[in-house]
Amino acid sequence: MASRWKEWVTGWAFVFPAVALFAVMGVYTIGSGLALSFASWNGFTPNWIWVGLENYADLLWADPALAPGVRRAAWNTLQVCVAVPLLTVLISLPLAVTLNSVRRLRGLLRSVYFLPYVTTGIATYYAWRYLLEPEGSINLMLRSAGLGSLAQPQGWLANPSTALWTLILILVWSAVPTATLLYLTGLQAIDPSMVEAARIDGAAPRQVLRRIIVPLLTPMTAGIVLLGVRDSLHGFQIFLIMTNGGPGGHTNVLALETYELAFFKGLAPTLGLSSALGWLLFVGAVLLTLANARLLRRVR
Amino acid sequence: MTAARVARTAAYAALSIYAVLSLYPFLWMVSGAFKTREEILDGGHLIPREPTFDTIVTTWNQLAFVDYFRNSLIVTGLTVLGVLVVYSLASYAFAVLRFPGAKALYWLFVALLFVPGITVLLPVVILENRLGLLGTHMGLVLPFVNGTAPLTVLLLTAAYRSVPKELREAARADGASEARIFLRVYLPLTRPAHVTIAVLTAVPTWNEYVLSRVSLNDESLYTLPLGLESLISGTVVRYNEVLAASLIMVLPVIALFAFLQRYFVNGLVGAVKG
Repeated sequence: MASRWKEWVTGWAFVFPAVALFAVMGVYTIGSGLALSFASWNGFTPNWIWVGLENYADLLWADPALAPGVRRAAWNTLQVCVAVPLLTVLISLPLAVTLNSVRRLRGLLRSVYFLPYVTTGIATYYAWRYLLEPEGSINLMLRSAGLGSLAQPQGWLANPSTALWTLILILVWSAVPTATLLYLTGLQAIDPSMVEAARIDGAAPRQVLRRIIVPLLTPMTAGIVLLGVRDSLHGFQIFLIMTNGGPGGHTNVLALETYELAFFKGLAPTLGLSSALGWLLFVGAVLLTLANARLLRRVR
Repeated sequence: MTAARVARTAAYAALSIYAVLSLYPFLWMVSGAFKTREEILDGGHLIPREPTFDTIVTTWNQLAFVDYFRNSLIVTGLTVLGVLVVYSLASYAFAVLRFPGAKALYWLFVALLFVPGITVLLPVVILENRLGLLGTHMGLVLPFVNGTAPLTVLLLTAAYRSVPKELREAARADGASEARIFLRVYLPLTRPAHVTIAVLTAVPTWNEYVLSRVSLNDESLYTLPLGLESLISGTVVRYNEVLAASLIMVLPVIALFAFLQRYFVNGLVGAVKG
């Protein structure tokens, strides 16, 4: 009995720092954020004005100055959430399988492929901005390859019809490294005798890939898609740094809109709206994850 | 050529194409950092015609890089340290010890994966303003540490669970305390997982821009991303200097990763299997 008590106390002592930090940084912020989503406040007046569900209604349909923009940001966010994980899997799975099939230079290539993860952030975003300028290297390359009609004279990020997809591709570029590395570890865990047995039974390499390797990697795919959707919903650093939602709101996403409402509206009472939008984003994240889990289970 | 050889050539061709894509912005970063102000304007060529060190020197002198580096190191270092200490203890308890509330707490931490950072950003700023933490380095470190909780707890708990229980039983029979078992048995066996956590924490923290932007006002406390930003906020953007500054900012991270790579990959393998 005494030793059991001792284990309880030890256990609580070990989790104490994590729980204490969460009590200060987590419980309070989540609680007050949720409360604020039912209030109107500009950050300076001493009191909040309770407005019930008004903030949510304003964001979703009631406020004509707000709702259309939110809806457009939601549509952009959805495109990012679907396209980024999908393209990431479509690129990193074949990349990992190919890399796993060769011997020479494998280690070097693995490091090269991982580089975008290590350097991603404001520094590479600025480099991409430079490359996507009207006279940047992407346009120059297209022109010199005789594909000048594809070049974007006003720059890839300034053209409303290319801006969002350009950012999506850069997001994929920075998501491929971890996905490839995860697939590689998954491939190395596959029992070689299984692949060998299938080959002896006369299965063509393509069949081995489709019937054995891809199904065995499904748990990995599930993890990559799950984290990809989460990152696409939560992350907006690239949108803030590269376009700040422009041109004309064409690359605005929900997280960026939440950020704008929280910090860049001066004395307007938009803090409650920002909180409400943040919680809508949370609900979206949970729903998308559940939908994903169902979809992947059916595939499996 | 035999079929196998054709296949291998095709494989290497595909792999090389992606390698170039992977390095693409980085190559231009290096190239731009050695170009003059005039050359960067008609910069369709990767290799600078008249390579110059002036750009890197001017950029270095123009920004308070020493301050930015020191500040970024403080923030990233403290965050990584905090994450490793706080969550290795908690994860050890979740993985090994039995006590009331263990399961509920574990799932609480994992469930936080779904709370977007932006949703709690504003409350964090309001709270820190009240506590007098806003605008300090500690004001960045605490929410950064707290924010890594879900993934860290998930990975470290899995790593500790993969250690055979018999080792703990044997150490206990020898009269070792729980703290001693944790430090002498579990930590050495799960080192790769800790390196993985360190890299997965350090990289985003080094590049963090959003919370730093809205909380730091004192320029002497600026981290590298904020310093870099000041180059591009003017009316005329000198891309050769922006690229040089970007290069200066990413090189230490690349060096660190090259140094830790072996452990990092092993840790990821362990985490996935665990």
